Amino acid sequence: MTTITSPAPASGAAEAKSAAGRAPLRRGLLRWLFVAPALAYMALFFGYPLVRNIVMSFQHYTPKTYFTGEAPFNGLDNWRAVFADELFTDALWHTALFTAGSLLGQFTIGLALAVFFSRRFRLSGFVRAVLLLPWLVPMVVSAVVWRRILDQDHGMLNTALHAAGLAPQDGVPWLSSPGVALLSAVLVNIWIGIPFNMVILYGGLQEIPRDLYEAASLDGSGPWRTFRSITLPMLRPVITVVLVLGFMSTVKILDLILALTSGGPADSTQTLGTVTYQLSFLQLDFGQGAVVGNVLILISAVFAVLYLRANRADFGKGK
Amino acid sequence: MPFLAGRIRTRRGRVPALAVTLACALVAPGLSGCAAQPDPGTVTVLNSATDTAEHTANQRFFDRCGKPLGLKVEQISVPADQIASKALRMASSDSLTDILELDGSELPQFAQTEGLRPLDEVGVDTSGLSASAKSLGAYDGTQYGIARSVNSLALIYNTELLKDAGIAVPTTWKELRAAAKKLTAGDTYGMAFSASPNADGVYQFLPFFWSAGGDETKIDNGKGEAALQLWKDLVADGSASRSVVNWNQQDVNDQFVAGRAAMMINGPWQVPVLSAQKKVDWAVASIPVPEAGKPAVPPIGGTVMAVPKNDEDPAREKNAGKVLNCLNSEKNQLQWGASVNNVPTRTTAAQAYAKQNPKLAAFAELVTTARSRTAKVGTGWPVVGDALAGAFQSVLTGRTSPEQALHRAQQQASAGK
Amino acid sequence: MKRPTSLLRVRPVWNTAAALLILAVLLFPVYWMLNAALQPESSIAATEWFPVSPSLKNFDTAISTQGGSLLTSFVVALGAVVVCLALAAPAAYGLAQFGLRGGQGIVFATLITQMVPGIVIANALYSAYAQLDLVNSYLGLILADASLGLPFAVVLLRAFMVSIPSEVVEAAMVDGANRFTAFVRIVLPMSRNAMITAGLFTFLFAWSDFMFALTLNTTDDVKPITLGIYQFVGAHVSDWGAVMATAVLSAVPAAILLVVAQKYIAAGITGGSVK
Repeated sequence: MTTITSPAPASGAAEAKSAAGRAPLRRGLLRWLFVAPALAYMALFFGYPLVRNIVMSFQHYTPKTYFTGEAPFNGLDNWRAVFADELFTDALWHTALFTAGSLLGQFTIGLALAVFFSRRFRLSGFVRAVLLLPWLVPMVVSAVVWRRILDQDHGMLNTALHAAGLAPQDGVPWLSSPGVALLSAVLVNIWIGIPFNMVILYGGLQEIPRDLYEAASLDGSGPWRTFRSITLPMLRPVITVVLVLGFMSTVKILDLILALTSGGPADSTQTLGTVTYQLSFLQLDFGQGAVVGNVLILISAVFAVLYLRANRADFGKGK
Repeated sequence: MPFLAGRIRTRRGRVPALAVTLACALVAPGLSGCAAQPDPGTVTVLNSATDTAEHTANQRFFDRCGKPLGLKVEQISVPADQIASKALRMASSDSLTDILELDGSELPQFAQTEGLRPLDEVGVDTSGLSASAKSLGAYDGTQYGIARSVNSLALIYNTELLKDAGIAVPTTWKELRAAAKKLTAGDTYGMAFSASPNADGVYQFLPFFWSAGGDETKIDNGKGEAALQLWKDLVADGSASRSVVNWNQQDVNDQFVAGRAAMMINGPWQVPVLSAQKKVDWAVASIPVPEAGKPAVPPIGGTVMAVPKNDEDPAREKNAGKVLNCLNSEKNQLQWGASVNNVPTRTTAAQAYAKQNPKLAAFAELVTTARSRTAKVGTGWPVVGDALAGAFQSVLTGRTSPEQALHRAQQQASAGK
Repeated sequence: MKRPTSLLRVRPVWNTAAALLILAVLLFPVYWMLNAALQPESSIAATEWFPVSPSLKNFDTAISTQGGSLLTSFVVALGAVVVCLALAAPAAYGLAQFGLRGGQGIVFATLITQMVPGIVIANALYSAYAQLDLVNSYLGLILADASLGLPFAVVLLRAFMVSIPSEVVEAAMVDGANRFTAFVRIVLPMSRNAMITAGLFTFLFAWSDFMFALTLNTTDDVKPITLGIYQFVGAHVSDWGAVMATAVLSAVPAAILLVVAQKYIAAGITGGSVK
C-alpha cells in the first residue's frame, strides 16, 4: 500500500513523471504549490520561534533583555549550568518514565477501545463520541477534579478502593508520596490521551478493506490470528502516526503536572517541561529555560528520524 | 544579538514605526485600537484581577480617582502567575501599560531591568507608609512600587472545636503541637497548612522559618531546622494530613471550611469565603512562636503598583503617578483594605482599619512587624524560595533529615546566584 | 460476513453494557464536575457523591457571564479548522503523492515543529502581531490556533493519503482535469474521514487553547472560554462551583459537534470508502 508513499525521488514520483512527460518544470512548480502555503506558514509560526529559542540558549537572556533588547552571548554557560543541575538529570529520567508509561497505557487502551467500538451494537457511535468529552474539559478544571479524586484521605478513588477492600488502612498516597505521584500523573495523562488514540486508531481500522478479513475467515484463521496477521500490519502506518504524535505531546508535558502536583512532592514529578517553566517563568532565566527546551527538541528530533526510518522500511515492501 | 535587536529594540530607534502606521491604516479599522497610538486620556493597568468581584472593585476605585483628573482607567487582567511574562512581552514590543501591578516578590526582578520609574520622580508620596510595606515595594533602596494594602498569615481556628475540647488558642509551638494532636478526631485534623512546592507553600513556611531564627541568606545557619522539625512532627503525629505537600492555600481553606481541620494557617483574603459559610465559626490569632515571649515574624505579602518608564510620552507617567497618589490616600486605602480584607499600608489608615475590623485586628498588628521576602535577597528570591520549597518537601515526604535538607537548600541557593 | 474485530462472539446487548461501563469509568471525572457544579453551597473539598438537592445557581452565573466567550471560542475554533485544513490537505497530498525532492525533510520538520514549546511560539508571535496590529483580533487568534493542529493534520492526512492509488487521480487527469481540480474533486472526497478527524482534533486543540488566547490579547475583545473561566478564578479565592458549571457549559456545544462529526465517520465506513 505504500509504493506511492515515498517522498524519495526513486519511486512513485518517477513513475508519475514518465507517465506525464510534458513540461516537467511547470509540473514540478505546480506540485510545490500544493506544499508551499503550509511551508510558508510553518516557517513563520514555527521556524522563527525555533531559531529564536536556539539562539536564546546561548545568550544571557533576562528580564532586562525585554526592556533593552540587549542579550549578550555567553557561549555554553547556560548549557553547563543546566547540565550541572541534579534536578535536570532527575527530570530527564522522570520524563522518560512518564512518556513511556503514558504511551503504553494510552495506546493499548485506545487500541482495545477502537477494536471494541468497531463492533456493531446499539449506542456504539454515541458512546464513542461521548468518550471524547475529557478532551473538552479545560486542564485547570480537570486537574482540580483529579486532585479531589486522588486525595489520600477523602478522594473518591481511595474511597472506592476501600469499599472493595483493596486499599491499605490509610489509603494510597496517590499524590502525596514521591514514590507514587509520578504514577498518578501517568494515570491522569492516560485518561486524557485515550480519546485521541481511540479515534485515530478507530479511523485506521475502518480503512482496512473488508475483503481481507473475509479471505482470512475463509482460510479459517481465528480472531487472534486475524488480528495479528491482518489488523496490526494494515494498521501500521496509523499506529506509527499515533505513537509519534503521542510521543511529541507527552514528552513536553507541562500544564497537567503543574496543575496536579506542581512538580512535587519532593520534585518527584519534575519533568523537562516543568523545569523549563521554572527556569523561564519563575526564575526568569530565559537562556537556561531555552536550553531545556532545546533538549526536548533534540530528543524529538531523534524520534522523528526513527519515524521516518520506520516508514522507509514500509516503502521497500511495496503494496 | 543583532538578531534580537531588530525584534526587540523598539524603545529608542523605532525602525518599524512606518510599517506599524501603515499596518494600522490598512488592517486596523474596527479590529482594535492601534497599540502605537494609545489614547492620551486613558491610563492602562496590568493586574491580576481576573475574578469578576475583584475586577469590579478595582474599577470602582480607578474611576473614583480617574474622573476628577479627566482620565479613564482601563484594566488588563491576567491570571496572577502570568503577570510577569505578560509584562515582559508587552515591554518587548513597547506596549507596556502605564501602571503595572505585580506581586511584591516579583518587583526586584522588574526594578533591576531599569524599566521602572522610581516613584518619587513621578510625584508619588510614600512617606506615610509602614516600614514593612515600604520594603515590599523597594529595590536597592529606591521605592519602585507602592502597595495599597498588604496581607500576612495568621492562625485561623474553629472556635467551636477548641471550646468543646477545652483548649486555649496555642501561642507556642509546643502548645500548637499538643493542641493539634488533641483536636484530631475522626475526619478532622487538628491542623492544616500549605506545604505545596510553589509560592503558596513557601509563604506559609516563612513565619515558622523566620520565627525560629532562620535566615534566607544563610539557610543552613542551624536555626531553621526547628521549623522543619515542627512541620514534620505535626504530620508524623497524624495531626496534619500527609496531603499538605499537595495543598495550596485555597485547598487548606477548603479543608477548614469543610470542618476537616480545627486550625489552619491562612491569610485575610480568605475572609469573604469564611464569612459566607455558616458551618464553621472561626477566629484569628497570631501564629504560634517557638518559645513564649519571642516575637512572631510573619511574611508580608500583597501586590505593588509600579510605573514603567515611558520616555516617549512622559505625560503618561505623570498621569499614572497622580492616579497612584489618589488610590493611596488614607480614605481610599482604608476603603480598599476593607473591600479586599487586607490591611492598609498607611500607618494611620492601618490603625483605623484595626478599629473598624476587630476580627482582623490580629492581621493589622502582624503586618507592622512582618518581613518582606525580597528585602534581603532581592532578585535572588525565586531561587531561594525554590530551595526552601525543596527542603520542606523532602523532609515532609521523609526523604531527608531537616539538617540535610537545609544544607542542600543552601547549596541550591548559592548555585543559582 | 465476519466483522473485522469480533475477537469474541458476544451478544450485542452485552456489548452495549460493556460500552456503558467503560463510559462510566472514563467519564467519572466529568460526572464529578457536573456534580460539583450542581452543589453550590458545599465546599469543594466536601462535595457529596450525588447532588441530592441540586441547584442551578452556578449555571445561572455561568450562562449570564460566559455566553459571549462561548461564541468567541466557537468562531475561533471553527476558523482555525478552516485555516488548518486549507493549508494541511494540499500539503499532505503533495507530500504523500508527488515524491517531492526534500519531502522527507519537510515531514521531519513538521514533526519537529510539534516540539517547539507553545510559549516560545506565543512570545515570538506577540512581537510580530503587535507590529501587524493582529493583537486583539479574531484573525490573529485564528491564525495562531491553526498552528496547534497543523503539524498533526499534515502527518495524519499524509498517512491516509498515501494509500490513495495514484491511478485514480491520473485517470481523472486524462479526462482533462488539472492537478488541482483532480485534487479537489477526487482526493478530498476520498479522504473525507481523515479530513474530519484532523478537523475534529484541530477544533479540540483550538477550543482548549489557553496560551495563545492569553498571550495575543490585551483586552476583552476576543475572549474565549478558556480565559473567561478565570472570571471565577482569583489569585487567592476561586468560585469552583461556577468554574465547574462553566466547564460543563463549554463542553456542551463542542460535544454536540463531536456527536455530529462521529456520524460522518460512521457513514464513511458503511459507504465502503477508498478501496
